Amino acid sequence: MTSKNLWTRLWIMPLMLSLASVGCAKKTPEPTPAPPVAQAPTPTPPPPAPAPTDTTTTPALIGSGDFQPAFFDLDSYTLRDDARAALDRDAKLLRDNPTVNVTIEGHCDERGTVEYNQSLGERRAQAARDYLVAAGIPEARLQIVTYGKDRPFATGHDEASWQQNRRAHFTVR
Amino acid sequence: MKRIVIILSAALIGIAGAARAQAPTDVHIDLSKSGSRIRIHCESLTPAGAANARSWALQADEVLSNDLDWSAVFDVSRSWVTGQSVEGAAAIVGGKLTVQGDDLRLEGQVRDVPGGRPIMAKEYRGKLRDWRDLVHRFSDDIVLQFSGEPGVARTKIVFSSHSGRNKELYIMDWDGANRRALTQDGSIAISPAFSPDGSLVLFTSYRGGAGPRVFVLKVEGGKPFLVSGRPGINTSASYSPDGREIVCTLSMDGNSEVYVLDAKGGSPRRLTTQRSIDTSPTWSPTGREVAFTSDRAGAPQVYVMDREGGNARRLTYEVGYTDSPAWSPKGDRIAFVARTGNGFDIYVCRADGSDTRLVVSGGSNENPHWSPDGRHLVFSSDRGSGVGLYVTDLDGRQPRRLETGGMSASSPAWSPRPAESGRFLNSNPTNSALGGRP
Repeated sequence: MTSKNLWTRLWIMPLMLSLASVGCAKKTPEPTPAPPVAQAPTPTPPPPAPAPTDTTTTPALIGSGDFQPAFFDLDSYTLRDDARAALDRDAKLLRDNPTVNVTIEGHCDERGTVEYNQSLGERRAQAARDYLVAAGIPEARLQIVTYGKDRPFATGHDEASWQQNRRAHFTVR
Repeated sequence: MKRIVIILSAALIGIAGAARAQAPTDVHIDLSKSGSRIRIHCESLTPAGAANARSWALQADEVLSNDLDWSAVFDVSRSWVTGQSVEGAAAIVGGKLTVQGDDLRLEGQVRDVPGGRPIMAKEYRGKLRDWRDLVHRFSDDIVLQFSGEPGVARTKIVFSSHSGRNKELYIMDWDGANRRALTQDGSIAISPAFSPDGSLVLFTSYRGGAGPRVFVLKVEGGKPFLVSGRPGINTSASYSPDGREIVCTLSMDGNSEVYVLDAKGGSPRRLTTQRSIDTSPTWSPTGREVAFTSDRAGAPQVYVMDREGGNARRLTYEVGYTDSPAWSPKGDRIAFVARTGNGFDIYVCRADGSDTRLVVSGGSNENPHWSPDGRHLVFSSDRGSGVGLYVTDLDGRQPRRLETGGMSASSPAWSPRPAESGRFLNSNPTNSALGGRP
């Protein structure tokens, strides 16, 4: 569990309470054993931004961090077994949250040129998208974009960092 | 490297003051080998006029001697550096620098050794604020005098510098002076390329929260205009030598292919039709051919095809995994990178793929781009601290790092000479001439 994920849950909790009171919440996330939440001052108004007044849209109850990236081998956009397993879980998350749309980012490690990696990153994002479409997710919910090697997740110059950077990465739109 | 035989005929030099009876002396200089530069000796410029003229002259001495050294035509010694003497020099460069108010006058002279006969005398006038340009002009004229082709000291280099998660474009003089930001988008700006007249810069940007799209802006800066924002990738764009077309990579048909657009980004014409990745196109200087990268045969390789997309053939079989082709301005050579274990070396071969030579290795070296005289390649490298720009003179000397004020620098592109401006494009285009929309 990443710290970003935990943080997301921390501010979602008061939001959940307020949504439940107006009867909008559809799904309760798994219980989170997070002691700091108990200390959250309930009188404080919930964060305003993610709750639109337009009742036709449901606020996203899952964040980008809930999705699992698909990792790739060097110079490859073939889905490995671990990537398929991750995408199976992502497909379930998308099926369970039909209002959530995502952008799939294609990323590469630094060992290719800027331009070639842009194309390779797109291939990786396409591979993840095509797998999800085959799993029944409407293509309209899946945008893709490639960042090549220009937005690395890890900045080291070793295989551990490179593997982190060869991925199809999900962000919730 | 290229064999350049320079013939200097004293009879052609035509210095009025030197019109005494001299036997025409032909000087043959072979630049084909390392260490065959012309030895030239720089004397301090003599200051005149304002009291602070001496400090201007000292700065001009540095700029002029560096220009000459970096021209790759000369091997420079400096009179103001201990241990460097005129001994062995073929010529002496000197002159007088007069400062009067805001005005500057540079009276440049070149004399031969040992006779001391004037080879060249030229006067340059301008404003004090343009002092570097005046000195660059003198240097370019000296290079012209000795090599038959002007130098590139008045060219500029555009590059990409990262700041946090973003990259912005910067532009600077060839010696690193006058560096300034071109974009301030808070996004990723990469792969810049000058228009053939040097007035515009095409580049790829993620600005506006979108994917990679091609934009253009004026070298003076200002708002970028969209050139191609089709679905998928829009990148790796460059103007044709006549400025009428743009070659680029688009993935609107589902995978990266090479296209030619008109100068405003319309009328896409597809050149490659493989299911593989095809990208990094670069024009030949005649505009009749395009070199590009494709992984149609497995690992990425550089190919050459004609401008209609036919007759694609692999450039070289001597090196595996090649990318980033750059066609030399004279058309005779193609530079490219080849992957080593974890980085890239830079190679140069003939345009027909023969005579492949390793020219830069050590660290990872990317994005080679030719100077307009074909004597140098600028590239990015992590060989020093961080990623910076380096120039190789292709004659065996160690690459020198360009000063970028401590900023990281990658994706360099070299401008044409300013004298070439205005040949086919309006040198001061209106926004409508830029095409596209903001």
